[in-house]
Amino acid sequence: MKSTLPGLAAVAVLAVALTGCSAGDDGGTTIEVQTNLGATDPILEVLAEVTEAYTDDHPDIEIDLVPATDTYEADMKVRLASGDVPDIWATHGWSLLRYSEFLEPLNDQPWAKNFNPALAPAMENAEGEFFALPLDTDVAGIVYNRAVLDAAGIDPASLTDWAKFDAALKTLADAGVTPIASSGKDSWFAGNIPDFMGSGGFTDEEFQGFLDGEFQADGYASLLDEVAKWQAAGYFNPDYSSATTDDLGRALAEGKTGFIMVQNYIVGTALGFDPDAELGYFPIPSDAGSPFLVGGEGRAYGVSRTSEHKQEALDYLAFLAEPENLSQLASAIGGIPGLTDATSDLGVLQASYDEFVAPGDVPLLPYFDRVYLPNGIWDTMVSTTDSIITGQADVPTAVDQMTTSFDSLHGQE
Amino acid sequence: MTATSSLTLPQRRRGSRSSASPRFARRSLNLFYVPALAVLALFTIWPLLNGIVLSFTNWNGYSPGRSFIGLENYGRLFADPIFHTALFNTFIYGFGSTLIQQVVGLALALALDRAMRGRNVARAIIYLPVLVSPVVMGTMYYLFFSYNSGGLNDLVVALGGERTAWLSDSNTAIALIVLVNSLQFVGISMVIYLAGLQSIPVMYYEAARLDGAGALQQFMNVTVPLLQPAFATSIVLNLIGGLKLFDVIQVLTGGGPGYSTNSVSTLISTAYFDNQTAGYASAMGVALFILIAVFTLFANTMLNRKRLELQ
Repeated sequence: MKSTLPGLAAVAVLAVALTGCSAGDDGGTTIEVQTNLGATDPILEVLAEVTEAYTDDHPDIEIDLVPATDTYEADMKVRLASGDVPDIWATHGWSLLRYSEFLEPLNDQPWAKNFNPALAPAMENAEGEFFALPLDTDVAGIVYNRAVLDAAGIDPASLTDWAKFDAALKTLADAGVTPIASSGKDSWFAGNIPDFMGSGGFTDEEFQGFLDGEFQADGYASLLDEVAKWQAAGYFNPDYSSATTDDLGRALAEGKTGFIMVQNYIVGTALGFDPDAELGYFPIPSDAGSPFLVGGEGRAYGVSRTSEHKQEALDYLAFLAEPENLSQLASAIGGIPGLTDATSDLGVLQASYDEFVAPGDVPLLPYFDRVYLPNGIWDTMVSTTDSIITGQADVPTAVDQMTTSFDSLHGQE
Repeated sequence: MTATSSLTLPQRRRGSRSSASPRFARRSLNLFYVPALAVLALFTIWPLLNGIVLSFTNWNGYSPGRSFIGLENYGRLFADPIFHTALFNTFIYGFGSTLIQQVVGLALALALDRAMRGRNVARAIIYLPVLVSPVVMGTMYYLFFSYNSGGLNDLVVALGGERTAWLSDSNTAIALIVLVNSLQFVGISMVIYLAGLQSIPVMYYEAARLDGAGALQQFMNVTVPLLQPAFATSIVLNLIGGLKLFDVIQVLTGGGPGYSTNSVSTLISTAYFDNQTAGYASAMGVALFILIAVFTLFANTMLNRKRLELQ
């Protein structure tokens, strides 16, 4: 007992001393940055490195990089609803529609002049305000395995309308390759299909109709008719319901599937299975206009309007926006930088970038749901498309559900 | 000596206090309820009342503003085919799971009530899944049913069959959800019935045998009537669990394909967090609360009435 007491006292003194060293308690400032990166995500490591450089220059500021759970959106909604708002948080594509009423406009920031103009349709409101610093610009098309298409004699650049795409699917099926793969388990894959198609799948009048609050049922039905046609022909992967992102990445890398409609991160997953896989993406076919790419806001961070440390938070964002820092972050993501004065290495996707993006001939359209559909309809898009791919519902039923959801979500607060 | 002390001590206490003492004692006793009532109010009654209020709004779940829209959300419930599907599935999950758990749980209890080697080990093994998280249980079965690497398909292929996407068809998926939920919680029914069986005095069976009753007659005329309290407990517990089933569905199918395997619970989660229709989700929550309350009250009343009739 005698020997224990001094030990306990020493631990207590040490604990008090260590507590006294924290930035929050000695008059410094702690900024909470809610990332949407997992605790073991390599991008979080790079963000931590950049952040450490910032705190070295600002010893009175502590940056608390908070990793995300896999229920990031729900977590953020709960925090916003309860008033427990982080100083900075990742907007993951929703800086405008979902979070802008909580975020500080950033147009007067020193880096704002370098804002990638391709992001304007997705990130700027009617007054030209934007609310997040984009680390990268999301550019997506239809991902493919180059070796598989070469073996089947398919030139991806030639697939400019859906009839040509359908013919390519048949060619792949005849060659014994699963023509198109998606996932019911990681359900966003199913939602991505009409979302990708929808960005260039309507006339200007129809797009305006969506904005006016009228769901364009006939146009949407024509998108789902394509999906239903692929389902009826047996073009989807037979393990659709149980396939995960990893399963799809492996199938893509091993040349067991031809096409996947999802963002380019699937390429990173595929390269984990075969680093030498030849992968790329090509513009999405269109019957309403020319082929197009989709995208906009990638990984982006906004500052809370109500933050007690707003100025410090803006200063930290400005540090991330410096060209060398943003280049480092965008390279870690493998994406196109969100600011025009930064650069990045796109790796295996460089060839697709050089062919379709760099010349500037292919339009980069914002994601269909983020601009033309009300906030909250994404899950309905996922479930209705899922029901088509699995043959559980027909197109009219799916369109009816979309219409109901669209109508009810308009006017929602 | 001990008995005397225990009798005299309260008398001395009563005698040493005024006539207000019992009231004081009652008040003191009532104070012990306060923490429990506070917890109940904070975590049950307040959320329930808040949910009822929200069900009359069009709140999206996180924005500062919300508008009162009267009974609109409840009207939508009646017209929403997705809610109707979820409600139908909820009945299947509730009553299907309850039926399987009663039949299998009682059969297991009857088998393991006999003197036999390894009886305790068998009881423990059957009860063990109850201690496992439904999410873990669901994940294990998800892997078992998966198309490419699932054990079930491997077995089918080994027997010369073809792989099947078990979870792609809503009928198969619903049956599998009921099965997985039942397999996990059948141990609870078994334990309840075992306790019931062990509370039946042996003399009733001896008397029945003297009257010439066979095994089936003993079961129907002695076991079943005297197990009525156990039936009531087990059925009500299983019914509540099945009607609010969430975890297993979420892990096995996520409510899909499409909306076809949703329960009301999973649909509430989707409506609140994914569709951002918190007001509508709250209306569904209120409906589910009423549904469970009505069915459990009904089941409890009927089963207790049966027990009283037998007494």
